[in-house]
Amino acid sequence: MAQSSNGTNNFKVVLLGEGCVGKTSILLRYIEDKFNEKHLSTLQATFLNKKLNINGKRINLSIWDTAGQERFHALGPIYYRNSNGAILVYDITDQYSFVKVKNWVKELKKMLGSDIVLAIAGNKIDLDHERAVSLEEATQYAEQVGAKHYHTSAKINEGVEELFLNLTRDMLERYESKKQTEVTRSSRVLVVDDEAPPPSSCCSSFMGA
Amino acid sequence: MEGGYDEIISDNPFFVAFKSEYMEIFQHCIAQSWIVCVPRVGSLNTRVFAIEDFCAHVLVPSDELPETHYSTLTEKQVTVANKVISLEVTKGLPLQSHILFEETFYTEDFMKYKVWCIESPLEPTSNVGGNDVTKESLCSINDCIDLLWTQAAGRQVLDQIDLTVQLFIKKNPVLPYAVGSLKVTISELYTHCLQVALQNKRLRDKSKASKHILENIKLAVECYMQQLIFDYIFKPICTSCSYEDSHLNKKIRNMCDIQLRDLDIKKELYHAVPKAKQILSKIDSYNTVLEKVLCLKQALNAINENSNSSNAMLLTADDLLPVFVFLLIKSGLPNWYSQLTYMKEFQFSGIGRGDGDESIFLITTLEAVIEHIQSGALAGPPDPESYYYDSNNSDDSISSCNQRRNSTTESISTTETTGREETLDYVFDLIKANHTEQVQALLERNRKHLNNMQDNEKSAIKLSLDEMDNDDDDSDVEIYQKLCHPLCNCKKCCQKLSKNLLKTSPTISSRDSHGLTPLHVASIYGKAAIVEILLDMGADVNATDLNECSPLHYSASRGHQNALLLLLHSGADINKANIDKNAPLHMAVNNGHLNCVKALIYFAEHGRKQIIVNCCNGNGNTPLHLASKWGYEGIAKLLIENGAEPSLQNRNGKSAFDIAHNYKILQVLKSSTPSLYEYIHITSADIKKLNLKNDNPITQKLQSLKIRNDRNKASKTVENLKRIERILQAISYGDIKLACFYMNINYDNYTDAKCDLKDPLCHPLCECNNCKTVTVSTISDFDVNFCDSNGYTPLHHAARYGLDELCKILILNRANINLSNRKGQTALHLAALHNKSTTLRHLLDCGANINAIDFSGNTPLHDACEVGNIGATKVLLGYDPDLNMLNASDKTPLDVAKGKVHLTIIDLIEKYSNKASIYK
Repeated sequence: MAQSSNGTNNFKVVLLGEGCVGKTSILLRYIEDKFNEKHLSTLQATFLNKKLNINGKRINLSIWDTAGQERFHALGPIYYRNSNGAILVYDITDQYSFVKVKNWVKELKKMLGSDIVLAIAGNKIDLDHERAVSLEEATQYAEQVGAKHYHTSAKINEGVEELFLNLTRDMLERYESKKQTEVTRSSRVLVVDDEAPPPSSCCSSFMGA
Repeated sequence: MEGGYDEIISDNPFFVAFKSEYMEIFQHCIAQSWIVCVPRVGSLNTRVFAIEDFCAHVLVPSDELPETHYSTLTEKQVTVANKVISLEVTKGLPLQSHILFEETFYTEDFMKYKVWCIESPLEPTSNVGGNDVTKESLCSINDCIDLLWTQAAGRQVLDQIDLTVQLFIKKNPVLPYAVGSLKVTISELYTHCLQVALQNKRLRDKSKASKHILENIKLAVECYMQQLIFDYIFKPICTSCSYEDSHLNKKIRNMCDIQLRDLDIKKELYHAVPKAKQILSKIDSYNTVLEKVLCLKQALNAINENSNSSNAMLLTADDLLPVFVFLLIKSGLPNWYSQLTYMKEFQFSGIGRGDGDESIFLITTLEAVIEHIQSGALAGPPDPESYYYDSNNSDDSISSCNQRRNSTTESISTTETTGREETLDYVFDLIKANHTEQVQALLERNRKHLNNMQDNEKSAIKLSLDEMDNDDDDSDVEIYQKLCHPLCNCKKCCQKLSKNLLKTSPTISSRDSHGLTPLHVASIYGKAAIVEILLDMGADVNATDLNECSPLHYSASRGHQNALLLLLHSGADINKANIDKNAPLHMAVNNGHLNCVKALIYFAEHGRKQIIVNCCNGNGNTPLHLASKWGYEGIAKLLIENGAEPSLQNRNGKSAFDIAHNYKILQVLKSSTPSLYEYIHITSADIKKLNLKNDNPITQKLQSLKIRNDRNKASKTVENLKRIERILQAISYGDIKLACFYMNINYDNYTDAKCDLKDPLCHPLCECNNCKTVTVSTISDFDVNFCDSNGYTPLHHAARYGLDELCKILILNRANINLSNRKGQTALHLAALHNKSTTLRHLLDCGANINAIDFSGNTPLHDACEVGNIGATKVLLGYDPDLNMLNASDKTPLDVAKGKVHLTIIDLIEKYSNKASIYK
């Protein structure tokens, strides 16, 4: 989502993960201290909007919750297209949910490339004694795919705000660096333009060979 | 929409002044995480703020109720409820202000604080500045008109937009169908309208003053424009989406009896569904994107509205999507895809921008739901005859089938005291799993048992009456063998007998609680093999269930063509109406099963049965109405070609024209001259597919049925005229290959065999593999006995032009050799007239009637004599013709020849008759 005219960045974030890992709870915890108690009942917990101001930069965060059940898996692309960030949630007590996260990462990388900022969240750390996904494995995997790993617990409100704040910062950084490279790339294109265009094409060289 | 207002807080003069002039207080607020309220820009018109002003806008949470109760730094009590701040004042009503939005600030040193942007200052004494309090959000077209009217102080702007749109329509009488170019055109119009609106000085000044007003004006202009132009642009959109729409409709129609529990919808949401459905089905009546999106939102909200609002349940996407799927299926709207396209592509002003992407989210949700339905992931009825082809290897355990059944319909009670084998459900499950033999065996056994019981009952009564011995009764030997003695009356034996009498086994005519017979179930699941068995066993083909639906209705509505044809051939009533007065044709059309529609029409045509193409159901809808509504182009075409009348009105006074929502359908309806080229002879493809399995009994059965049916007389397929013309033309050119191709006959099959008709089989009744392939596989399903308007069949033409080879092929393909044309002439007549001696010989070899007479009483010999065809006469005389036949002018062939003075012929005939008399 591009920057709108008044200098506000609109970022779209999708929450992905298997059924009962607590995506919705994380989302609710994050906007829990909203002033309007009727807010949730009118908007459902599927779409929420939050305005942030980080060091004077305005960010309008749209957070989309997605369906986690397997039968809706095919609808993923409809939801995550055009998103700037994705939070991949797994349940630390459920090995399978972590496998699902890996699948999502693969899919996102394939579909969106590096345009999307990934955050992997191991939820339910209040149930650490039932942990099934080892900490090393998770952090190592996150590092490997270039995602940040977070520990959260929606129940005891741990790590949730940090998760969103850091993700927003990363998205902002990614957005600005991308803008930067676009500027440099366009200038480079100009330089190329000055030279004579390379005459060979793949076909001609092939025929020559 | 909520939070439609947006402004940049850090530019707000109040906020800027607070931050810079009272740094310390501000820092303290941050440290304490107190909430800072900022009156929206323009609501305070002073430029100078005192410290009291700021203190009055800092909210300190109370200790007991930090969520709702606060006090300001000026010691005033403040409560917050439902986005409204209420400030206690000493006299009068509390001062209220709306919270427009909340913004969370993070400083460089990771301090966090919240700012609320509020509608008006929290000070009773402050001089309220803003003269025009902008309406928070626009919710309807009326709001938009209101805004344009009040902001411009008059209706000039509205009139201007009206004029612009009218000019546009005049300039572009025909819009492009492609959505892309349509979008470009409309966005151009939108820009134009906006320019016109901003030419108004008042609007221009106001929009310059506030970004928020500008956004609202943009939205209002867009809505007003959409309202004006909607009818004009929606048809093109529907047209370009017609393919997707009709496919979606077919999917939806076939799932229309889906229940809430089938979709795993939470029970708590059931009560909200009717209301949500009502709201959602209104989406059609809104013209603007804004209102349509709002409609979606309201429907979603309605789902979540809890009757006991004490604990609002939170809905996740997993809960919402199935409900939405259900609503969409039940809404009965024929053009969801077009609606989606309109919402997705035709909003230019960026509605709800301040609201993040909520409208985008809603539209995306709709898209996801449509995608989900399209993908067929739902547990709808299986694909037509999907289990049909794996009938032989479908030995999957019945238990899996039971599970499926249990999950879809919870009506089965699994706790049965009697054996599972003895319940009707078991039989139904067997049918569904396509266990042909088991079904047959079970029903056969039960029927026998039933008969035994009846006999037994009689004999039991007999026994008790006169105690006579009946040892010749051998049908119930089994039971009697179990008794101590055939006449034993002991307790044990009586028990055994009565148990047998009480046993209720499912038979061919048993019904379940819905009145479904096994034949119904087999038809519903498209098990053609079982349908056939059941019919052979004497199942009632016109049995109806509680909805008065016959098996034919079910096979039509589920798109099972083979089952449908079997039922039709067994004498099912083709026009039977169910409880809603729907005929099978309605069912097939409504669910978009082109193959079944074709089968019904074709069968009626060839089976000499009357199918009422224009019959009305309970709502006065003809099948054409349904095809038009759901956008089934192919079906509509077929119906029109078969005499459906598009101008008939239903109960609401609507004709098929009125119901059609895209141009493609309209064009079909308008085409009063049917395009016959498109007409494809049904089942040829299907039969070909079936032919892959030569030993399939159904295939053979179907074929023989068809052929038996075709034998009657030449078909009067008026619709086929063009095609027939082409075939006949090919024959007249002598192009046998082409003719065979048109008739779906594999020419190559006949070239090598050069079919010697005399003895292609080892034995006339031989059924060895070699013979079977000759008889069955080479025969095309195409009915070669069609004729043109003068009654000429291909055989007539082949004979006329002396194409022996084609004659052979045609006869092999069951051409009726003795068919006559309008003049009563058979192929033999024509061959005789045109002196085709080899053809004559061939026809006669194949059993053509040598003494056939045409309408003027002429036999082929008459004709040959009349024209003077010596060769033909010779051949004919070789096949023992009746020389004494008189034609309409009371002349024998000899008389005719004499009249024409064909000396050779006279000679030939006289010689022949002399010879004949000698033999006699």
